[in-house]
Amino acid sequence: MTQALATTVVVASLYALLAAGYVLVYRSTRVLNLAQGDMMTLGGYFLFLLASAAPGQPALSVATAAALSALAGYFIYRLLMRPMAGHPIFAAVLVTITLGILLRAAIVLVYTDRIRHPLPLLGLANPPRRLPGGAVVSTFDLLTVGVTAALFVALFAFLRLSPLGIQMRAAGEKALLAAQRGINFQLLFALSWALAGFAGALAGILYANNVRLDPSLGVLGLKAFAVALVGGLDSLGGVIPGALLVAAVEVLSVRYGDPLLADVSPFLCLLAMLLVRPWGLFGTKEELERV
Amino acid sequence: MRRLALTGLAMLLVVASAATPALAQYRIGMSAAITGPASSTYAPTYEAYKAYFKRINDAGGINGQKVEIAYEDDRGEPQRAAANAKKLAEGSILMVNASTSATYKPFMTESEAEKIPLLFGGGVCPREAFPPASPLIFCSTSFGSKWDSRFALGFIKEQAGGKKVKVGFAAQDIPLSRIELEFAEQLAKEMGLEAIPVVVVPGNTPDFTPFAQKLKDAGADWVLSWALWHVEVGVFEALQRIGWQGNYLLYGHQQTQDELGRLKAGNLYAFGGNTLFLENLPIHAEINNVKGQTTHPAHYMAEGWVSAMVLEASLRKCGWPCPKDKLATAMAGVSVDTRGLRGGPIEWTADNHYRKSTYYKVYRWDPTKNGIASVGGWTRLEIK
Amino acid sequence: MALGGGYFKTTYASDLALVDTRLRRTALAALLVALLLLPRFTSSFVLDLVTQTALAAIGALALNLLTGLAGQVSLGHAGFIAAGAFTTAVLVEHRMPSPLLALPAAALVGAGLGVVVGVPALRLKGLYLALGTLALHHVVLYACGEFQNHWGANTGVSIPPPRLGAWVLKGTTAWYYTLAAVAGLVLILSVNLQRSRAGRAWMAIRDREIAAESVGIDVARYKVLAFVWSSALTSLAGALFAFQRAFVSVEAFGFFLAIEYIAMVIIGGLGSALGAVLGAAFVTLLPYGIDAAVGALRVPGGAEYYLFPLKFGAFGLLMAAFLIFEPQGLVGVWRRVRNWVFLWPLRYRPLRSTS
Repeated sequence: MTQALATTVVVASLYALLAAGYVLVYRSTRVLNLAQGDMMTLGGYFLFLLASAAPGQPALSVATAAALSALAGYFIYRLLMRPMAGHPIFAAVLVTITLGILLRAAIVLVYTDRIRHPLPLLGLANPPRRLPGGAVVSTFDLLTVGVTAALFVALFAFLRLSPLGIQMRAAGEKALLAAQRGINFQLLFALSWALAGFAGALAGILYANNVRLDPSLGVLGLKAFAVALVGGLDSLGGVIPGALLVAAVEVLSVRYGDPLLADVSPFLCLLAMLLVRPWGLFGTKEELERV
Repeated sequence: MRRLALTGLAMLLVVASAATPALAQYRIGMSAAITGPASSTYAPTYEAYKAYFKRINDAGGINGQKVEIAYEDDRGEPQRAAANAKKLAEGSILMVNASTSATYKPFMTESEAEKIPLLFGGGVCPREAFPPASPLIFCSTSFGSKWDSRFALGFIKEQAGGKKVKVGFAAQDIPLSRIELEFAEQLAKEMGLEAIPVVVVPGNTPDFTPFAQKLKDAGADWVLSWALWHVEVGVFEALQRIGWQGNYLLYGHQQTQDELGRLKAGNLYAFGGNTLFLENLPIHAEINNVKGQTTHPAHYMAEGWVSAMVLEASLRKCGWPCPKDKLATAMAGVSVDTRGLRGGPIEWTADNHYRKSTYYKVYRWDPTKNGIASVGGWTRLEIK
Repeated sequence: MALGGGYFKTTYASDLALVDTRLRRTALAALLVALLLLPRFTSSFVLDLVTQTALAAIGALALNLLTGLAGQVSLGHAGFIAAGAFTTAVLVEHRMPSPLLALPAAALVGAGLGVVVGVPALRLKGLYLALGTLALHHVVLYACGEFQNHWGANTGVSIPPPRLGAWVLKGTTAWYYTLAAVAGLVLILSVNLQRSRAGRAWMAIRDREIAAESVGIDVARYKVLAFVWSSALTSLAGALFAFQRAFVSVEAFGFFLAIEYIAMVIIGGLGSALGAVLGAAFVTLLPYGIDAAVGALRVPGGAEYYLFPLKFGAFGLLMAAFLIFEPQGLVGVWRRVRNWVFLWPLRYRPLRSTS
């Protein structure tokens, strides 16, 4: 049935946007940014802030919100992650968890837990659209898929073709050697965090306009990290099949199984992947010694 | 050095003066979801209480005594509510719960153990308030189990006008919502409507589309939803997005007036017990006057205001001194005129702590008038 | 630890003793007396805080065993607590509410769960292990949620106060003594485990697993043993949690609870039993401290609205601050303070002779 397929693709694109953030940060700094979901929420709230301050200007608000989120990503790296440079990786991951807590606390402090809707403030609408084959999705569903595709194409082009992107990949693989070649890997790490913030903001903006905006959207980030792991934590290419797989399992378990199982299904996928192939579908086999 | 000592002394005096012992007064404990995901539904009750009893205390109190209410935030979480219940039970003559149904059990246990009357002022009325009522459980909230479904299905049948319609049910994965809509499903079949099995939605799901899809695929002409607002509306919006053409009936919480205006959908019907502020009754103007003291808009205050009115009437009836057992007895005979906020008075008897009759009204966005309009008048159901 | 001079042990007994110097013995006796007499001098609110700290300390000590001693990072701690609490709930629903049955049952369920988690965890290390335990936490919570939905028509299970024969455990003071005693026992157990063969094996595995294996330590067995010990103790804490709160509901065991316990262990100091206790005290008392601070500052109207995000944010901030600036945690601070006090007016320990 094509509606299930359409829903799967839409859900998968949202997960892919978030997972891209995970992969970007992991590839360069080897840190799993468990605050990616909260960075998505932050992006959504930046949009709400701008839309409330200057209603009726969607392009400007979206661009500014994304830029602010990228800037936030940069500052997060500079202030929080760079001091953690010599510490064990787990401590750095814990710091990202505390970052998530801080972001969420700040949002609730300013905006309380009320559900917000930026869509009318931007002056846009979200009518349903019929696809060939009978499936019906909303306009922003289509936008999500489109933006995800565009972002991935852009990221691939950037990382493979542009000099800065190649340097980023080099710095991610072996920072020491890259530094000896004169690559300013601190700047590139900061750039990867900024890109993660940007990707998260895109996800947050699209979701806030499509469904709703409230401080607890960060739980989507936890589901998306399952996607990142399934695809391979350091593989951008693996994100898409991983996202499709996890989204398919979730949508099918809602349709044909227990809807409450849908909440847990990304984690079941994660567990299965960890037991069978811990480095994911397309990740590099890191030094995972068996006992 | 001297300045330091003087500032220290001044601060000490300030602290000491604040710590003067309270005079004898009516001591009430209230636990509400002031923050947290459910706060937009329950925090207005807390604000209404604060504003209402500030007005009363400023005017001299009830029977010459001030009303002292201790507020605790439980964020809608049962564990916090359990801690609050223990804390509030000390020294209170009454406990008020304005929070999600998940917080009910610890409060009822504590009320039973300490023999303190318990008033539900914001959340759905539990079974123990309906006849035969538990002696300590009272409820002023406009919505209640089973009676809401009875009215809702009656309304759907009336709107269907004799045609056989398929009714779908969208529940949240909390027990009260599931049980209520499973009851509604059963009742629908008895009333001659075609009922689709209940679709249960997890409260924190990011995407309501699969659940909406299930309802659309089953061919629902009407969908009834009875849950927290964001689930009710989430399923509706998802149904709209996938191009569903049926009618949606949900219970209207505090957000009704704002949300009907935001969604502007002619097929969304909200039923409830509270009159919307757009009807501009004198009591609405009165509530508008306390605007400065609340963070939520005045038109969210109806539920809490009625509850506060009931509490005031109970305390007046109890007199002074008012120990908790006397209060429980007094409450079992109280009758309150809601002055238009509800369709009729709230009257409690020894056996019925919900009300003798309950009233419902339905509102929807009328595209022809470009505004919110009521669909018919008040419907009265007698509680037996 | 020698300060200035050396304490030379002359018998095996004195070497094995937990409290070896006269100063420590006096300090311990004073502490015990203070704890015994505490209910006489403090309000029931303070007593309740100490009780909560004791309960948190049990869980923190268990986590310290796993993460601090054995180096197995676990983000699924809340799942084990939930398992213990729900075991108690299941027994209560089946009309078997006696603590004599519930506590051992919870420990057994915890141990079983530890095996279930520990065996697959052998394949994972570091980050992947943490993520695997996180995923498992969600699965355990889902199972508990399903139980709550299908077995209890209401949300959550009320747990009656535990009774042993004719005596009912009720009231702040009784709970204080009980939980303080249990926490003390778990502390002694934890310290002894650290000194035992298993403890040494765990520390070897944590520091350099390959070296440990080459020395002949059965790494697989000890890793699973770490999980079993830790989860048994944690489930025991969960059962006590259920009895003390008198109410069990799945919402209380979310991911944030696991973060709180990780914070306790990290802020306290990884690998140290004292650190776990200090961290438990810190994390438990922090919200009340903020309450007091906000109350003292008398911020005008609406404090209730931002009290929760303030506490939440302060917790995150302090955890980040400890992670960045004080990796050794409160124990590190304590050690520095203690050294400063003992060595004053000198600043450095005297050099020990090499002969």
